[in-house]
Amino acid sequence: MNRIIYFRNMPLFGKSQKNPVEVVKQIKEAVVALEKGDKKLEKAQEDVSKNLLVIKNLLYGTADTEPLSDIVVAQLAQEMYNNNLLLMLVQNLTKIDFEGKKDVAQVFNNVLRRQLGSRSPTVEHICAKSEILFTLIAGYEHQEIALNCGTMLRECARYEALAKIMLYSKEFFNFFRYVEVSTFDIASDAFSTFKELLTRHKPLCAEFLEINYDKVFTHYQQLLNSENYVTRRQSLKLLGELLLDRHNFTVLV
Amino acid sequence: MATPSSTTTTTATNATSNNADNAPLAAAAAAASNVWPNTRDSYELREVIGVGATATVHCAFCKPRQEKCAIKKINLEKWNTSMDELTKEIQAMSWCQHENVVTYHTSFVVGDELWLVLRLLEGGSLLDILKHKMRTSDCRHGVLDEATIATVLREVLKGLEYFHSNSQIHRDIKAGNILLGEDGTVQIADFGVSAWLTTGYDTNRQKVRHTFVGTPCWMAPEVMEQVHTDHGYDFKADIWSLGITAIELATGTAPYHKYPPMKVLMLTLQNDPPTLDTGADQKDQYKAYGKTFRKLITDCLQKDPTKRPTATELLKHPIFKKAKDKKYLQSTLIAIGPSLETRVQKASKRQPGTSGRLHRTITGEWTWSSEEECDGQSSDDECQEKPLNKLIEVPQSSDSEHESGDEHLNLVLRMRNSNRELNDIRFEFLLGNDTPDGISTELVGAGLVDSRDADVIAMNLRVLIGNQTRDRPVTFALVSGCNSDETPDEKMLVGYAQLSYAD
Repeated sequence: MNRIIYFRNMPLFGKSQKNPVEVVKQIKEAVVALEKGDKKLEKAQEDVSKNLLVIKNLLYGTADTEPLSDIVVAQLAQEMYNNNLLLMLVQNLTKIDFEGKKDVAQVFNNVLRRQLGSRSPTVEHICAKSEILFTLIAGYEHQEIALNCGTMLRECARYEALAKIMLYSKEFFNFFRYVEVSTFDIASDAFSTFKELLTRHKPLCAEFLEINYDKVFTHYQQLLNSENYVTRRQSLKLLGELLLDRHNFTVLV
Repeated sequence: MATPSSTTTTTATNATSNNADNAPLAAAAAAASNVWPNTRDSYELREVIGVGATATVHCAFCKPRQEKCAIKKINLEKWNTSMDELTKEIQAMSWCQHENVVTYHTSFVVGDELWLVLRLLEGGSLLDILKHKMRTSDCRHGVLDEATIATVLREVLKGLEYFHSNSQIHRDIKAGNILLGEDGTVQIADFGVSAWLTTGYDTNRQKVRHTFVGTPCWMAPEVMEQVHTDHGYDFKADIWSLGITAIELATGTAPYHKYPPMKVLMLTLQNDPPTLDTGADQKDQYKAYGKTFRKLITDCLQKDPTKRPTATELLKHPIFKKAKDKKYLQSTLIAIGPSLETRVQKASKRQPGTSGRLHRTITGEWTWSSEEECDGQSSDDECQEKPLNKLIEVPQSSDSEHESGDEHLNLVLRMRNSNRELNDIRFEFLLGNDTPDGISTELVGAGLVDSRDADVIAMNLRVLIGNQTRDRPVTFALVSGCNSDETPDEKMLVGYAQLSYAD
């Protein structure tokens, strides 16, 4: 498969392979500086983005370099968990520049997909730090990061353990608000995450709907009566899909 | 008393300098909060600058910002394709922030319409400009000069480089999708068929990446061929399209623009890659274009996608030493281009559904969809241009030319394909130019018709065109007959085919 990684104008980092500990330490320092705001915004943003690009290139490889070996990636990931880097990046996403935000999502999704035998260490990490998920969900409140958070959330929703945490949280019901925000691309992104959560893991979803029947369908009713044409159309279609799914048969019919 | 007062002064100075430091931050915050509004009342719709089957593009004015913009209104009731398609197109735009990629501001729902707020590019598309120039001056030896083309292509390549770095493929690069701002800014538009490579962003997106493939004249051979390999094509397809666009900017049209879509596929796959001279009527017609420019075209138009340079590599091509700045484009393109008013008038004359794109279905068949895909960006001038087929070209001053006997007939051949599904093959017949035999050979050549049926189709085509009454279709038995497990049936068109007028 062809991958292309674009070098934004940036100084070259030399040929020396950075070790994971060092790489994570550097980006952490940059994010902390950005968070505190002790440097000028542009300078701090530049530092973070530069370091994000280093990590992204390590994970995905570039035109000239291969991606890191599995062992080094495992070390890199472990270092990220130990330093709580994923949460930090997500929490400071609004402050990161436009291209950097996209790199965060790419790095996040790549690390999330990594497997160690049959284990998914990042899924375990996020299970233990569910704040990551709730921070991402709250991202829909901010126009400038909503879509980035959306891509990360949908990647998370592929894992049953993470989908379960989200479904059974009070934050889940915020989606009923997010799918109706006025900016179309954000509302429809929220809708696809919402749909993913309600349809991806059939038995989990059926059980969730059964337990929360009244609450969910009271909220759902509002979507069907929405003033927004797109919300009405999409929610009606999803309702149809939910009704036709045999897993939901006992719940809904 | 003196000491504390001096301390106070120092503190005050510090505070001031801090404020100064924060000034850009505050300005940035103000800019961020200065978002494009999502309400209908904030915009004043002005003239229509583009019309398509499901969308209309207006010039508009954003009242709170006191700023001009373009609004693309998409009728959602008429939008039969899934909502995901639409979302995909809009998100593809919102992932981009680059000077050479169309600037998307916001989008919101108004009644049953979706309004996309975009940067207004007053210059229109390069296709508008090409056509205008060809109408108003002698372009036999080339439409745009090398320096102008190099300047435009460099900007397009910068946009493509960014696009590809985002793991996006545009898949429909052509003059009609390159827009010009009044100041000479060049932007790539129309994300209707763009796709995502599979590195990272959102693996769920792969589901929506489907069989859309762009416009045949500009389509890379490997895109046409991707019958069974679903990972077989990637960003290099855009480089091919760029090569075709280079020819288009020089000669005014894509090399195979005279032929119907199926024939274009055949020519692209079977012939050597086209060159500047492919569509020339005379030897040396385009001799004004030098070796370096021709080299750029041959570099882009290599059939093996792996041999084509990347956008980044192409930017280093010697031809771009000739590239100039925006100001130059202002003088060579904007100044000579059609005014917005001219384009508005043309837009209102446009008929929806006259352009289209090829799709490849899962079974590997090509289908030509004309109605829904005409999406009405101002770039949509191909809506009336129909670059695919000279037969479909509607003359600008239609009245006078119609009398000269060049009448266009829209015809349909209805018959079953090898999977026994009923298909409508639509084609155009230009009286005085096409022959029934020629068309029938073309249909065979495109693999749409069994060669054994060529004669009978040509014969009945002759009958149909000879008929005075146009409402009567002609049904006839096929020489190829039907499968052994079927009984010929004239009504069901088993072993039979039908020719009729399309409208």
